[in-house]
Amino acid sequence: MNNSRSIKAVEWLKSSGGITVTCTILVALAVSIHKGPYVLVNTLVTGGMWALMAIGVSLLFGVMNISNFAHGEYFMIGSLTAYYIMHPLKEYLLETPNSFLAFITPVLGIAGATLAGVIAGILTDKLIFAQLRKRNREGWLLNCFLITIGLSIILINLHMLIFGNTFKGVVNYWDVPSLALGDVYVSVDRVVVFFIAMLAILFFWYLMMYTTLGKKIRAVAQDENGARMVGIPVNRVYSTTFALACGFAALAGGSLLFMFPSYPTVGIAPLYNSWFIIILVGFGNVAGAVPGGFMIALFQVVTRTYMGEGWENVIPMFLISAILIFKPYGIFETKVRSVWEQ
Amino acid sequence: MTQSTNENHTGLSGLLNKICLSPLGLLGIVFLFFLPLVPPFNQDYMIRWLISGAIVAAAAISFDFSAGYLGIVNFGYAAFLGLGGYTSAILSNTLGISPFITIFFGALMAATLGVLTGIVSLRLRGMFAICFTWFIGIALMGLCMKWDWLTRGPLGLQCTPFFESNSSLPNYYLILAIMLLTYLALGLMIKSNYGLAFRAIGQNMEAAMTSGVHPTKYRVINFTLSCFFAGLIGGFYAHYYGILTPELMHTQKTVEVLVIAYIGGRLSLWGGIVAAFPFIFAMELLRSSLSDLPGINLIIYGVFLIAIMVYYPGGVAFFFKNLTSRKIRRKEMQQASIAQ
Repeated sequence: MNNSRSIKAVEWLKSSGGITVTCTILVALAVSIHKGPYVLVNTLVTGGMWALMAIGVSLLFGVMNISNFAHGEYFMIGSLTAYYIMHPLKEYLLETPNSFLAFITPVLGIAGATLAGVIAGILTDKLIFAQLRKRNREGWLLNCFLITIGLSIILINLHMLIFGNTFKGVVNYWDVPSLALGDVYVSVDRVVVFFIAMLAILFFWYLMMYTTLGKKIRAVAQDENGARMVGIPVNRVYSTTFALACGFAALAGGSLLFMFPSYPTVGIAPLYNSWFIIILVGFGNVAGAVPGGFMIALFQVVTRTYMGEGWENVIPMFLISAILIFKPYGIFETKVRSVWEQ
Repeated sequence: MTQSTNENHTGLSGLLNKICLSPLGLLGIVFLFFLPLVPPFNQDYMIRWLISGAIVAAAAISFDFSAGYLGIVNFGYAAFLGLGGYTSAILSNTLGISPFITIFFGALMAATLGVLTGIVSLRLRGMFAICFTWFIGIALMGLCMKWDWLTRGPLGLQCTPFFESNSSLPNYYLILAIMLLTYLALGLMIKSNYGLAFRAIGQNMEAAMTSGVHPTKYRVINFTLSCFFAGLIGGFYAHYYGILTPELMHTQKTVEVLVIAYIGGRLSLWGGIVAAFPFIFAMELLRSSLSDLPGINLIIYGVFLIAIMVYYPGGVAFFFKNLTSRKIRRKEMQQASIAQ
């Protein structure tokens, strides 16, 4: 028993996924020794959130066959909402200090952001994709791709029109001293954000695996007509899926407000990243998105540290293109590809 | 204009049909030729709007050539425009050659990248191909930003203009000629056996392979041609505006072209021209009259794209095709009733 398990582990290590994961861990360790552990902290904080974004995109594709190029805009909605909740409260707190309110402010902001994302997701599905489902299922993949592009333009420019082209951010969430881990100081915000990401991923995993809703979503993903035949309200499941995916994106946006201040095109980098991750781990591979998120985050942090600002979009791009050519199913060799090639 | 398939016209329309035009199309070209001479279109800013319309129209034609027929959406299209523009601008700046010659070098450069992309992305289809071209585009834009010893990065690269005169009119006729060249070259390609092969591959690759169509060859040819014209248009863009920034390669530019191509209708090269001029005109008018609301024209872009995709996925070309086929059907029905 124990022997066969270790053989399996060795075999996994020899596969491309195992090699990449091992290399990532080694690189992470090497870089943190060379440049200090802040690299590792940054990787962990952003990686978890990119994983959340990628899970959303992957889910939307797996269940609804929508390749969402507007996913970054839900990130933007989240960060915008969080800003407009946190900023007035922080202003108010400057005049009337209140320790409980100071503690609860970021929580309110992040929760509000998630709620806004959920509402935006439901609205998007009801107003656009439900209409398209009713009318025309032909060329669905390409139509949806173009629609999400249109949606992205609309949301970016609406932001610019209504809230202006300025950076809207907060400096920190909690005014408490940094945590000291040995001789490394890590701000509380980063630690909390990392745990939020992990909790959200756990929540998602539990939802998909052990609840009726998760079963319904998986059933619809497998076969829409079959699901409809056994009495699953398919349209409602679609709306829920959209709400879930957009809620995650907005949660990421709200949580990372202290690193990414909200402005119209703030969603572009998260969008790139979530597509990197999806290509890296293979289309439709939700579980792989978690290690993928950390890998991409590490890769970008390393590129930025060693080559300077701006290169982090160039070098990973070549790498991802190479992966796309030589390993089109991703490093974990997922075999969910039929729909992608229509 | 061109896409009616069952025609054995004689005389002028038959001759025109051989070079991918119809009487209506010829009329349209003559109209576009004389438009900037007629008031109120003879003012310089109006001609500038017409030029941006023609640029987008030409780009939409060559975009549709691979997106519509082969089903490969080149989401990094703007990067090919930019590559052509930068190559041409750098050559004419450093070697002092006339831009009329260097834009062809720019086009060749873009075509070379097109060949490489075509060969490399052969195994990819659908979303994979879209993502791949997108990443190529982002990477090229990033390179342009960072290699500022060559491209001067976000500061912008000065380009020598085509003409010494202050009027935009010669530029307009130049881009009109480029647009026509693009349309005729790609239209002839579509009319030939190659076009049939493109369509077959676009509709069902497996079936096409079974019938002996080699997808590799046709995909590379298609991609190369599309990118060649992208480079040519990019070269015009550079020397017309006189300044080139990496912003040209942004995905936003691709989206602009894509919206026009799809509003014009897939599988019709001329749809892009018909859609581009009124649309760009309306956009510019809107932008200049509502200058206190920045970005409102782009919002309308997005709304249009979504509305077209949801309610009328065929676009303008499909509307025209529907119109003519309905007319033919009515005529046939009349003849049938007479025969009875």
